[in-house]
Amino acid sequence: MTIIEPLPIGELNKEKFQTRLKLAQELMVPDTLFIQIMAHAPGYGEALFDAMYQSHAIGNVDHSLKEIIRIRLTTISKDTYFANLRSKKAIDLGLTESRIEAGCGDFESDPQFSEAEKWAIKFSQLMYTEPKRVNSDFYDLGKTFYSEPEIMELGAFIAFHYGMQMFIRTLKVVI
Amino acid sequence: MRSASAKQQGLTEQMIDEGIEEYETSENFTEAEKIALQYSDLMDTEPDKIDETFYDKLKQYYSNEEIVELGAFIGFNIGFHTWFGTLGFYPMFTPDGRLVDQEESARIYGDKPISHTKGAIQRAMKGQKEEATGRIRK
Repeated sequence: MTIIEPLPIGELNKEKFQTRLKLAQELMVPDTLFIQIMAHAPGYGEALFDAMYQSHAIGNVDHSLKEIIRIRLTTISKDTYFANLRSKKAIDLGLTESRIEAGCGDFESDPQFSEAEKWAIKFSQLMYTEPKRVNSDFYDLGKTFYSEPEIMELGAFIAFHYGMQMFIRTLKVVI
Repeated sequence: MRSASAKQQGLTEQMIDEGIEEYETSENFTEAEKIALQYSDLMDTEPDKIDETFYDKLKQYYSNEEIVELGAFIGFNIGFHTWFGTLGFYPMFTPDGRLVDQEESARIYGDKPISHTKGAIQRAMKGQKEEATGRIRK
């Protein structure tokens, strides 16, 4: 049981949520429970789901890499709800639990990750543990792997998902 | 950066300072405002303290709708403030509303969050004075 009771799906405005519920059921990150909780605040359920979905499932940066980053972030935020969700799209693309575990572990010395992937995972790791190390030298290195739009995409994705994890962990949401 | 809308509603720099530094003992905040401010503090620094008991207290003052609104707003800001902090950019405007370049904004606001009343306003006024003097010399 969560601290804020999820609204029954039948009570959600069909016009506003039908497509979003379908997307949530297809991607599974976030799942429909996120919508059912956020929908308490009119406008928030739609806007927050759209931002979560868009930053994760749409864009130029590899979705599976973002999925690893998202799960790794939960080791910092200590949120169990998002930690246990898995993107169906990433699984369909071939992402395995062992690769997720590797990404959540000592990724820097793991040869299965490219230097670009290592930079992106490190970006997320440092952001909320040692943000002062995310300095202009660090960004310069990132620009050797990613375009500026891709770095903005990654940064916004990390910031948004981490922020929502911090909120959701306090609500004791479980799947 | 400050919300123009909040300023129009009467929010002052002194109230912001008080809300950051001493809201728990301040008489200028209601119990409802104090717990909302504490909610934001704890979510970033000691989230384990936001337990069922804390939410029960929060529910004495706010509806579920308002709690979701507050919590999402706080979470969003926790995520984005840290990221923006790494990007090294500064507000476009001084505390008194003057459009400045990034170099001057960095000089006014410094490299860490500060109270506007304890430096930024004075530095902005000094910059404005220098700018005016420069124009006279021209």
